Amino acid sequence: MNINELKVLVCDDSLLARKRLKDCIISFGCTQVFEATDGEEAIAQYNNNKPNLVFMDIVMPKKDGIEALKSILEIDRDATVIMASSVGTQSYLKDAIKAGAIDFIQKPIDNDRVKEIINSYCSREEED
Amino acid sequence: MFTQFFGNFLLYQKLITPEQLLEAIRQKQETRMQLGVLAINAGYMTASQVERIHELQSKMDKRIGDIAVELGYITEEQLAELLNAQPLGYLLLGQAIIDKGFMTNSQFEAAIRSYKEKYSLSDEDISNNENSKSDTLIASLYDFSKTSNPSLYKGFVTLLMNNFVRFVGDDFTPLEPEFEIQSDSYKATSQKINGEFSVMTHIFAKEKELIQFACRYSGENITELDEYAEASGQDFINLHNGLFTVNASNNQQIELTLTPPAPLADLASEEVNGHLILPFQFPFGIIRFAISI
Repeated sequence: MNINELKVLVCDDSLLARKRLKDCIISFGCTQVFEATDGEEAIAQYNNNKPNLVFMDIVMPKKDGIEALKSILEIDRDATVIMASSVGTQSYLKDAIKAGAIDFIQKPIDNDRVKEIINSYCSREEED
Repeated sequence: MFTQFFGNFLLYQKLITPEQLLEAIRQKQETRMQLGVLAINAGYMTASQVERIHELQSKMDKRIGDIAVELGYITEEQLAELLNAQPLGYLLLGQAIIDKGFMTNSQFEAAIRSYKEKYSLSDEDISNNENSKSDTLIASLYDFSKTSNPSLYKGFVTLLMNNFVRFVGDDFTPLEPEFEIQSDSYKATSQKINGEFSVMTHIFAKEKELIQFACRYSGENITELDEYAEASGQDFINLHNGLFTVNASNNQQIELTLTPPAPLADLASEEVNGHLILPFQFPFGIIRFAISI
């Protein structure tokens, strides 16, 4: 899959965290980046935009990232959701993986990790 | 941590004033290390020997190091060692203070000796910032044994200082802890940590200072208390507390959770009174971090 066809959803309650991640993703050539500020909005945005990749914070108001992840997977069993959070504790990691997250990025976010994830998604989609 | 605590030491020993310290911190970036200060720090020369050399140097066209060797104050090997050493932050601060005329060479010599004595610091300790002696410095700020969980509280404060260095800048001095606030014009954001270590945390400052903090933290050009300024405080407290929960989980098998950071609001005194309030003096002003104890 070509990166300019890729649709990415960034879910984080921090305006700054969203901006940083969005700027980073756009710098790799991606043009379609959507944002959500809490878990409920993340689910709505997922429904509306059907993104290929989702970056999901964990500690968020209304509905946390783990709950939002579960709901998104109920809508779409094949959703690709990456947790991107400051709370990479053993139990949050376990919960995230158990709920169906495919990867976990510890904040502060390393842009190279994001690039790696996006590239590997795009090349995987090419093979299929 | 030694640079930050050296400033704290000079301040509370009343060796310099807060205004002088701020000016020296601002000056630090442009300061060039002089051999004399390096030699005093290493214990190779006394302040009076350094002053004698400076006096001679004004009369002859020779480098300080060569004069020192000729006079037999230091050996060639010691000279090479001093010239090759990495400039340490606290020495740059010392140099800036001397350059500004806030302390003389001999006052600096006495200060550096009593700083090392007070915290039983060796030169190796100071060259190695990761050294466990940072613990001694952190413990000098507050008696953590009075808290319900000394090792977690100490770990929290140590990480907080490291995060200030990492995400905001190393040009701060930790001031003495406070337990109540004296002003009603603070803006604060807060976050609760839940679990075995259940505490309330706040980061707060006056509006002008919060904007400066936000500029540094976000790397954005922020000029007013806008949504980016608000997000910076929330992002920092969430990042710091998040990294703390990761450490507690990995090192002590303690699983903690966080609530989302609260929106920026005026701080009422009862919210933080009785909490451990740590003021961090930056060149642009003071940022305070409070944790319930």
